[in-house]
Amino acid sequence: MNLRSFLVSLLWALLLVVCTSPQRLVFAANAIEDTPSGTLYLRRSAQEPVTEALRLATRMQVQVTGNVARVHVQQEFSNTGEDWVEGLYVFPLSKDGAVDELLMRIGERTIRGEVQEKAKAQALYNDARAEGRRASIVEQERPNLFTSAVANIAPHTTATIEITYLETLPFRDGRYTLNLPLAITPRYTPGAPQDATAEMPAATAAIMNAALGTSATPERVKAVRQRVSIEIDLEPGFALGEVSSLHHAVETQSAPSGKRVLLHTDDAPADRDFELTWTQASEKEVAGAAFAERIGGETFALLMLSTPRQMDEAVPAREVTFIIDTSGSMQGPSIEQARAALSMGIGRLKQSDRFNVIRFASDYSKLFSSPQPVTDKSRALASGFVAGLSANGGTEMRAPLEIALSGPSDPELLQQIIFITDGSVGNEAELIKLIHDKIGEKRLFTVGIGAAPNAYFLGEAAIAGRGSYTFIAERDQVGARMRDLFAKLEHPALIDLKVQWPKGMSVDLAAPLPMDLYSGDPIVVLARMPEIASGEVVLSGLVRGTQWTQRLPVTSVGDASGLSKLWARERIGTLSRQMHFGGDAEPLKAAIVELALKHHVVTEFTSLVAVDDEVVRSAGSPGHVEQAATSAPVGGAWATVGFAKTATSAEVWLCAGLVCLGLSLLLTYARFRRPALESRPA
Amino acid sequence: MSVGASRRVDSMLKAAAVAAFAAGVVCLAAGAWIPIKAWAAQLLIDAAWRREHTLSRIAVPWPWADTRPVAKLTVGEGTAATTLIVLEGSSGRNLAFGPVHDVASVAPGALGNSVIEGHRDTHFKVLHTAKAGDRISVEALDGSRSVFVVTDVRIVDSRRTRIVLDTNAALLTLVTCYPFDAINPGGPLRWLVTAERLRSKPAVASVATSRDT
Repeated sequence: MNLRSFLVSLLWALLLVVCTSPQRLVFAANAIEDTPSGTLYLRRSAQEPVTEALRLATRMQVQVTGNVARVHVQQEFSNTGEDWVEGLYVFPLSKDGAVDELLMRIGERTIRGEVQEKAKAQALYNDARAEGRRASIVEQERPNLFTSAVANIAPHTTATIEITYLETLPFRDGRYTLNLPLAITPRYTPGAPQDATAEMPAATAAIMNAALGTSATPERVKAVRQRVSIEIDLEPGFALGEVSSLHHAVETQSAPSGKRVLLHTDDAPADRDFELTWTQASEKEVAGAAFAERIGGETFALLMLSTPRQMDEAVPAREVTFIIDTSGSMQGPSIEQARAALSMGIGRLKQSDRFNVIRFASDYSKLFSSPQPVTDKSRALASGFVAGLSANGGTEMRAPLEIALSGPSDPELLQQIIFITDGSVGNEAELIKLIHDKIGEKRLFTVGIGAAPNAYFLGEAAIAGRGSYTFIAERDQVGARMRDLFAKLEHPALIDLKVQWPKGMSVDLAAPLPMDLYSGDPIVVLARMPEIASGEVVLSGLVRGTQWTQRLPVTSVGDASGLSKLWARERIGTLSRQMHFGGDAEPLKAAIVELALKHHVVTEFTSLVAVDDEVVRSAGSPGHVEQAATSAPVGGAWATVGFAKTATSAEVWLCAGLVCLGLSLLLTYARFRRPALESRPA
Repeated sequence: MSVGASRRVDSMLKAAAVAAFAAGVVCLAAGAWIPIKAWAAQLLIDAAWRREHTLSRIAVPWPWADTRPVAKLTVGEGTAATTLIVLEGSSGRNLAFGPVHDVASVAPGALGNSVIEGHRDTHFKVLHTAKAGDRISVEALDGSRSVFVVTDVRIVDSRRTRIVLDTNAALLTLVTCYPFDAINPGGPLRWLVTAERLRSKPAVASVATSRDT
């Protein structure tokens, strides 16, 4: 009977709605609230409960030989859930690294990744994922920001991938530095609101949303204590002086030809970059070397030398414009460091100098309408201005940079712009182009602030601005690092650098020689040549009209040294720079892809992909996608909290109650109406 | 239709009506219990607050409670003022009893951003009338009082936003769900009231700046 079955199903539906709905909603809410920070969670959709199955551990092994570091980054994706999972991770790597290897470990077997064009790599990966085979892919999102993905991780198993890159270690400001980025300062893309509440990095969100094909909760960069372990074998080829880790406690052991540096606690603070510095035991040794590698009928050479640290001369009068970033991402210790750096910079100015200060966030303001002479009065006004600076708002860098770059320049004065920022911007290319186009006779120096500044942007801005850069990670480094910078600002630059190769060989340089080199800056030259290089390389230049010359003997090294990859990476960097500055995109892209495929390196157009032949997931659910959280830098604006669930289910209960009572009334009404209906004649 | 069948339908309708009535009563009771619990808990907590003051030791509002009062929050002024006792720790259970202070954030009045969350339909219902310029005062356990002035009221999407903790000013951020009259308790929107602590002395003297546009 229709009425009867209708009533029965109605009752069941009612019971289901009333009894399960509010509880399920409340349960989902509790799951969010009770998640301790440091785990990730991602909703499959707004309705489904939260899952958090993916764990990620990182292990880094570094082999430093002479001036080159080979870094192995092992990422362990553990699926602790009952579902199959595709794991995603966004991670920072060195801005100069040549990423050339991806190994996927499956039990005893190792599958080696291939460099392919980005679209082809993605297709290979997607096919393997759909067919239930194991696969992984590593892509470059920005020059120092990468993503990795691992498909078909079975429930309760671990998938391990190993990414390898090569990097040169220049001798800079009297020391060697190895930087292992561990945290990402979320990038600010102009146009988005940023205040006491902070938006997620839109670029990353867009990338990940595209990868996921869904609108995942952008709960990505967060204050997590990540599992990281680091092992460094240091064989510099000379007697080591001081070895120190700037931000992490490390254990140092003696090794036959150097030192072994270890950091391994289960939860190393990954909220700041790992930085190891070392010096030579003897200052007298020349901090320079030339190496050559013969591979495939070509020779690749690497020259490294530090400019003389003291290029003493009478300091010329300068006109200095300080630009200071007071955006939201500079909150906390960063703005204090920036203020201290700025105060020191102003304090160092001479009577004959002129200066101005520009601060910016979403807007900008200037201390003086035009640069002023250094007097007691202008100093007092400046220190008041500096003391009043606090960090809030967006990072609109363009306008203050334009103002500083377009000001009239006095030919009698050395024009210097000192740009103090964490560089957390998403429109890097646009800003670098602006600097490149407008720099003229001015010189731009960048000062990177914070636990994880955007090194790529700060380095490129200094190249485009024909200046140099320095990084200040902690409050107690301000003095030492600013002294490095003053040495560059107050001493004449080395110009007209020339390199004379053995036997007058003509060579193909990976990048044009730098136009200006400052006290303490390294000279790094990567070249390709047809013949075998042997003999001596002669470097020469001018320091305020005086000739400077340095000779370096060339040492031959084995073909596994990776000099060709370093050359390719540097050349690719030069080509992408040309692209940023408005070069013809298509041929440049083709050249980059060709180089990348030949030398097996990851670029913005090529990715590493590893796929297995064996099908592990024969049928059933492909599972879901999860993303491991990336550490946010300590102390900055990214010490944040999410939101608790601040609504009760009272209204849901009350509504359900009213609906039930209404239904009860309706049923009663229907019951009393029935006899009247039936008494009618048929 | 036979008489027997008609009787069966009749008794079924009766049973259904009774069941629906019972379910309705249960639901209404469950719905009513939430605000009653919220109100009663504040009474008990208020007593604990006074005990903590007089005995100068940590007092819990009821023997099995795993939280404790940390601050007394007054929103609004004069007769319209609402006083609430804030509990430590933002768990769902604590939220049922009162507004909660997020332990990751600083204590109210300290340098940094202090975050207090509450339910939109019980304790923090009062926030829907909050506007810039309103005063909020917070009394700490030691009796010290901080007065805040509301600087910003805004709606944010909790999926795309996080609250910054490290600020250069002493801020207080009150959070509740939005919209205030929504039925669904799982919505992503939040109502954020940001207030800055009033300083005893005027803020740092402003410096002459010129602005180009």
